[in-house]
Amino acid sequence: MRDVDGVLLIALISLAAGFSINRFSTRPLPLVYQTPEQRFDAELTSLVAAPPFALPPAPTIGFPEFRTAVEKKSALIFDARPAPFFIQGHVPGALNLARDDFAHDYQRLSAVLKAASDKPIIVYCSGGVCHDSRLVANALLTLGFSDVRVFTGGWEVWSAAGLPVSWGAVR
Amino acid sequence: MGSVVGGRATRLVGGRTVMSPDTRTHNYLVPAIAAALAALFIYAGAGKVRDPLQFADAIAAFAILPATVINMLALSLPVFEIACGLLLLVPQTRKIGTLAVALSSLIFFAALLSALVRGLTLDCGCFGSGAPSRPRMWLELGLDVVLFSSSLFAYCRLLGRDNNVTLSASGSPSRIGA
Repeated sequence: MRDVDGVLLIALISLAAGFSINRFSTRPLPLVYQTPEQRFDAELTSLVAAPPFALPPAPTIGFPEFRTAVEKKSALIFDARPAPFFIQGHVPGALNLARDDFAHDYQRLSAVLKAASDKPIIVYCSGGVCHDSRLVANALLTLGFSDVRVFTGGWEVWSAAGLPVSWGAVR
Repeated sequence: MGSVVGGRATRLVGGRTVMSPDTRTHNYLVPAIAAALAALFIYAGAGKVRDPLQFADAIAAFAILPATVINMLALSLPVFEIACGLLLLVPQTRKIGTLAVALSSLIFFAALLSALVRGLTLDCGCFGSGAPSRPRMWLELGLDVVLFSSSLFAYCRLLGRDNNVTLSASGSPSRIGA
């Protein structure tokens, strides 16, 4: 029984230590969990005062169309995954517009977005069941960009195809 | 002639008390298991403590806990895992460490099994973040079984040793063999 008490004591100390670390963190967690969608809405609200609701979702494209756009550099490609994943590997020419840090990344890339306003935008994330690309694409539509598409295959399909990849720092 | 003194099976050879080879293996087995578990738990905890937000998302994907508990767990569990690892490395606290690992592995197993049964595909967040994958979930379920059985084995061995030490201290060591 003394051992169980010991485990409970360690759990309580861990809880206190976890909250203390969070208090001094640069990006502390709130007490109550927020879903990625809720966090994203909060980020978007910091960019536009009143986001228009009920926008149609961004159209999707398949792998051949995405590959052509990458090879011909005919579109702005955005990687919606968190920065650590982008650094480990991304589609050549893609820029990191992470869902989790959208407001910050959007402001960082505003000059690029303005300079290439005539180009279509394609957003991808991990692939399969990831929602980040859809969230980022819809946010770009909300912010006034009209030609935004989602490559649903994402990084999973691109890397599996054995095509060239880039890696390194966030651009 | 054999006996158990302080949890160690011994026999007299040429007037000297020596441990049997089997016992010697057992004496190294528990510290070896503890060291392996400690390395795994410290590695798992360190990976998550740096990014509690990703870990909170991984916990939420299980759809078991309410929003009021998720962040609390995301902040405390990585610290708890590191603490377990440190407890396992110190001989005096090893027993509590093995029990903590056994109990937490059991909880991880139950959570992962419930997600698999409900048809969810997720990244358990066990060792930092990764892509959601059902084959990996089955692999991690197997790992939980290994963690649970090895930590429970180590805990029982340490519990047996403590009981024998208590018996020895009271002047009536248990005896086995002729």
